[in-house]
Amino acid sequence: MINVESLTKTYGPRTVLNGVSVAFEKGQVVSLIGPSGGGKSTLLRCLNGLEEFHGGAITIGRDVLKPGGAAVNKKALASIRQRVGMVFQTWNLFPHRTALGNVIEGPVHVKGLAVAEATARAEALLERVGLSHRKAAYPGEMSGGEQQRVAIARALAMEPEALLLDEPTSALDPERVGEVLDVLTGLAKDGLTMMVVTHEMRFAREVSHRTLVLHGGQIIEDGPPAEVIDNPKHERTRAFLGLTRRD
Amino acid sequence: MYPACPKALASRAVRRGQALAVLVALAALFVALGACGSRPTPPSGGAGLARVRAAHKLRWGADIQGGEPYVWEDSEHGGRRVGFEVDLANAIARELGVEAEFVQNDWSALVPSLERGTFDVILNGFEVTPSRVGRVRFTRPYYCFAARLMARRSDSAVQPTVGWMRGRRVGTLANSFSFEYLRAAQAEIVPYEGVEEPYIDLAQGRSDAVLLDDIIAARYGEPRQDLRVVGDVADGYYAVAARNEEPDLQAAVDGALARVIASGELERILSRAGIMNERQRRLMTWSESDQRRMLGTQDTRQRLNGTHVMLFLRGARTTLWVSTLAMCLAIPLGLLLAVIRLYGPKPLAKLAGLYIEVYRGTPVLLQLYVLYYGLADVVKLNAPAAAILGLGMNYAAYEAEVYRAGIQAVPKGQTEAALSLGMSLPLALRRVVLPQAFRLALPSVTNDFIALLKDSSLVSVITVVELTKQMTITAVDVRSWVLPGAMCAALYFAMSYPLSIVARRLEEKMARA
Ligand SMILES: Nc1ncnc2c1ncn2[C@@H]1O[C@H](COP(=O)(O)OP(=O)(O)O)[C@@H](O)[C@H]1O
Ligand SMILES: [Mg+2]
Repeated sequence: MINVESLTKTYGPRTVLNGVSVAFEKGQVVSLIGPSGGGKSTLLRCLNGLEEFHGGAITIGRDVLKPGGAAVNKKALASIRQRVGMVFQTWNLFPHRTALGNVIEGPVHVKGLAVAEATARAEALLERVGLSHRKAAYPGEMSGGEQQRVAIARALAMEPEALLLDEPTSALDPERVGEVLDVLTGLAKDGLTMMVVTHEMRFAREVSHRTLVLHGGQIIEDGPPAEVIDNPKHERTRAFLGLTRRD
Repeated sequence: MYPACPKALASRAVRRGQALAVLVALAALFVALGACGSRPTPPSGGAGLARVRAAHKLRWGADIQGGEPYVWEDSEHGGRRVGFEVDLANAIARELGVEAEFVQNDWSALVPSLERGTFDVILNGFEVTPSRVGRVRFTRPYYCFAARLMARRSDSAVQPTVGWMRGRRVGTLANSFSFEYLRAAQAEIVPYEGVEEPYIDLAQGRSDAVLLDDIIAARYGEPRQDLRVVGDVADGYYAVAARNEEPDLQAAVDGALARVIASGELERILSRAGIMNERQRRLMTWSESDQRRMLGTQDTRQRLNGTHVMLFLRGARTTLWVSTLAMCLAIPLGLLLAVIRLYGPKPLAKLAGLYIEVYRGTPVLLQLYVLYYGLADVVKLNAPAAAILGLGMNYAAYEAEVYRAGIQAVPKGQTEAALSLGMSLPLALRRVVLPQAFRLALPSVTNDFIALLKDSSLVSVITVVELTKQMTITAVDVRSWVLPGAMCAALYFAMSYPLSIVARRLEEKMARA
């Protein structure tokens, strides 16, 4: 359902994505791992149109993104962003709205849903991420783990066909990581298409169906998690995983 | 001096402007609060003459901006100070055996400056009016002027009578002889700070007539083709004024002036200035009883009374609604400018930037002048509308910068989160960025509103009588700045203090969030 074709992206003289080609199927949970600076965030942000790129193409369903940014892709961007959700490392909740307000924002103002209906759905979503009791709280009053779960509910409220998550747990206190991973595990079980950048190898191995290793702007490994993580082909992957295991 | 150049007008108005009046008011407040309202008084009988002799200088206060033919800088002769009053001051000083020294002083503040000792005497078209008699000591007059009524040529109904003036909009200089005359006639006075603006407004139809000294009318009113002289309604005098406590100096200057008149020198000076006429003959035969008649018998000094308080409250109301409406304009306009500057297409963004720079880089007084007088041929705004529009457009530039800072302080992740929900950029701005930016900007906006309350005193240059203007008018009536100044300051404080509490609360709230 998502098809990336020789995607290239540069920052000045530095090439950040160097001909990335990959296809994702519906219902698949993909874990994206690799060393810091490898281009994982950039790839995710390109998929959501938050970043423009310089070569290649991204096809999501019937929408195609081409190099040239918002000016060229206006229509495709509007459609893609409604169909692909994004969860950020630092959650980025709207601080001037309650948990519930954050979740209904998209449905009401983008989809034009009636407030009552959006609220009913938002309450169900907050229930699903275990935060019914916090619906009236403002982001400033919630822990990081709670905020990230609200952010997931906010993305789900748009009923996305796929969810992109960029290190959803790495800004959290260690004891808060579990509650977010539990939510993601549940979503995976329900068959949601997800692409998760993560350093949680247990999560990658146990929950995802497929693991990609991005290094130096290229995909150097692509396969079932057990294979990639336990038996990496590439020297660089081994080095990276060795580092990860030690901490 | 002629024709009207907004810049020259504005700079004159800056000098004559209200900034000084506010300062004086504050100083007055301190005096009033200090309970001991005592003023440093020179020993009675006066040491004025001795001081002048010792310094070998007669310092005379005047405003160069009063222009021809009083005192002005002659641009054709390297900016030399000239005028019939320069000649007269030199002649008087010579008679006293000293040198004359010119001291530049804002015209509207000549009396307070005289009292605090900035110079020895006032000599600058300073009319003998009931409210000045008693505040200062006048010598015999050196010029007899007529208060001249002018109207539009097309307006044949105007009569040079008290009956006609009653209830009519008549322009004049604030606190002048004509001003007091019009007040007694119960006209609706339009008070100005400069001598050209009343005639500009009259020609524009913003007033029904202008009443000013014939010298002024001859220079600034009569050359206008669209205006006509209706008639002279009263005689008045220019005289030299000394401090109340210095009768000796007043007597000495009076004697010197008498000799200058007797020798025929005054006539020569007036003739050279082209302002000699039959009316001046009476100066040659001036007697004690003429002097008594000129000064009047009854003291018209008023106590600060209920009417003044009502006028003050009305002034405060004007200040408040002009400021509030100006802010109501500045906030949305500033928001628009900030958004265009940050997100608009390049040419528009540049234009918004230019607007902001021009409005922040030029004095608001000049902007008010241009809007009200400069553009009068294009858009004929009435004074309150011009005041609100002028202040609002000026403050919009400042608000725009406040909002820009606010918008830029909202983390980029907020916009990205909004976009990733499928929002368009305008929607993301409206729902996510601007509400947060507005919160960040709110303390600054409140502070700007307080500043605007005080800046609104500038609109008196375009004839809006607000609080500060009311104070300067009342100060003349009661012969003192102390009480009116204290009242004016108290009213400003009553308006701005609640706002500053609000601002502080908001800031604290922001700091906690
Ligand atoms: N805005 C930017 N300007 C310049 N370089 C950037 C910018 N954002 C990311 N990069 C560079 O792009 C490379 C890939 O970054 P990123 O996608 O964030 O990697 P990862 O998420 O895998 O750690 C890094 O070398 C980073 O320094
Ligand atoms: Mg990253």
